[in-house]
Amino acid sequence: MAKRKHQPLDPELEASLPRVDVDDLIASVKYYVDEDFAHLWIKDRAVCQQCQAKPCLAFCPVGVYRLDRQGQVMVGYQACVECGSCRVGCPFLNIGWALPRGGYGVAYKFG
Amino acid sequence: MSAKLVFDAIVVGAGPAGVAAAITMARGGLRVILLERGRFAGAKNFFGGVLYTHALAEVLPDYWQRKPPFERPVTEQGYWLLSPDSVVRFMHKSEHYKQEPAEAYTALRAPFDAWFAEQAVREGVLLITKTTVIDLLRDGQGRVIGVSTDRPEGDVYAPIVILAEGVNNLLTQKLGLAGSDLPPRFVALSVKELIGLPAKEIETRFGLAGAQEGVAIDIFGDATLGLPGTAFIYSDKKAISIGVGLLLEEFIWHNLRPYEVLARFKAHPVVRPYLEGGESLEYGAHLIPEQGYDRMPELAGDGVLVAGDAACMVDALHREGTNLAMTAGRMAGETALEAHRQNDFSAAFLRAYRRRLEESFVLKDLKQYRRMTDFLDSTPHFMGTYINFVNDAAMRFFSAHGMPKRQMEGEIFGLLRQRRSFFGMAQDAMKLLRGMRG
Repeated sequence: MAKRKHQPLDPELEASLPRVDVDDLIASVKYYVDEDFAHLWIKDRAVCQQCQAKPCLAFCPVGVYRLDRQGQVMVGYQACVECGSCRVGCPFLNIGWALPRGGYGVAYKFG
Repeated sequence: MSAKLVFDAIVVGAGPAGVAAAITMARGGLRVILLERGRFAGAKNFFGGVLYTHALAEVLPDYWQRKPPFERPVTEQGYWLLSPDSVVRFMHKSEHYKQEPAEAYTALRAPFDAWFAEQAVREGVLLITKTTVIDLLRDGQGRVIGVSTDRPEGDVYAPIVILAEGVNNLLTQKLGLAGSDLPPRFVALSVKELIGLPAKEIETRFGLAGAQEGVAIDIFGDATLGLPGTAFIYSDKKAISIGVGLLLEEFIWHNLRPYEVLARFKAHPVVRPYLEGGESLEYGAHLIPEQGYDRMPELAGDGVLVAGDAACMVDALHREGTNLAMTAGRMAGETALEAHRQNDFSAAFLRAYRRRLEESFVLKDLKQYRRMTDFLDSTPHFMGTYINFVNDAAMRFFSAHGMPKRQMEGEIFGLLRQRRSFFGMAQDAMKLLRGMRG
């Protein structure tokens, strides 16, 4: 099947997106953090350094992936809601993804 | 050494599919263990969402007496076609929706799934929470004979395993039943916020007569920046569920932050007044498998069946999923009962499950809309182009400036022609028709 043809977003539309601090949003989410097991990890740091787009920084709905001062991708797995987007959305499939151990991770109150 | 844990059936995942399967098998006399990785059933589950009772009634005919924790019956539903500054609404409200129990209810998954799993326990299912299944156990011939969990000595055996592990179907993939991981092009990422408001306030804002009325709105167009996706607003008892979903590939390609798309939608002049003064109760995200009929995993293997999101049983067009999951779970359970009667757990025998589904709405609907994802895939402009046009046309239609109506009609037609050629429109219409008719 042919690749989809994407039209670039109208710059006006793009400018209409408000800046949001995702940490304000996830303050409402209940987590049971497993300090002994990071269920997300970068498989090969060198791959990230070559990745220009780094879309994980944007599409992760809870901002797990952020850049540190050196421009390295940091993985804040503690905020993960286990949606799976990063595992399949990383253009280089460079994100290791496992389920948290039983009982750990997100625990929605409402869902 | 402890004794080997053996059951008649193992179910992985206590969502709608898994619980429906577990109840069906327990009622048929099987010893069933239901494994859930969350702290409680529902802890990991997240949807819009609307639940349809027909599927629930077939699993639990007396479900209504068991007091399911629904939010509001859906007594009004329809679509909003949103442009950046306007909306055209197609809403249907009817007294027919007011029968009790209603056909559809808004719901929240943490309380609902917990309730549903509790019913399974009442039917004799052994529910084990806080337990992640990490692998399948197989015999020398590769047949599934159990699962291993992250508990110490956590292997469990049964002649049949029902995988209802959800959209991140890692076990299904491990077995080779799913050809690949989820393609970002055919999986939607949805985010939702639950906004708390007093019941009275919700009823006033949506024009509802009381707690016995509720509204479910699906929104197209500007809510997703005109990109392939949908947004929704559902009324709960004391909250509004508001969310937006786009194909994951759109987020990636356009470098969009899901929570910013949601914030933009919430700030839309048509939407904002509904949310005014509300308190953010919870935010979350979930993937929705929209691979469609032709890219579904195999549903049966030796000693194993797959149901629900794990088998991408989602009808995105009608925002149906939990009802497909419950029906599939029930049919998987019925097939497992039959397999026990015949003592045959081979893939060949278990394929009866797929035949059951083919005869039900589950695969009939998925088959009918098999081209729907391809339609959106090949016409990504569709939402933006036509929805903005409909809004502009409505504006012309409802304005009176002393312009003769014939001229107004001409202008509307001109607006359409500016956006899309005749040939382009004919193509879009054809594709849409094919998407709808299958």
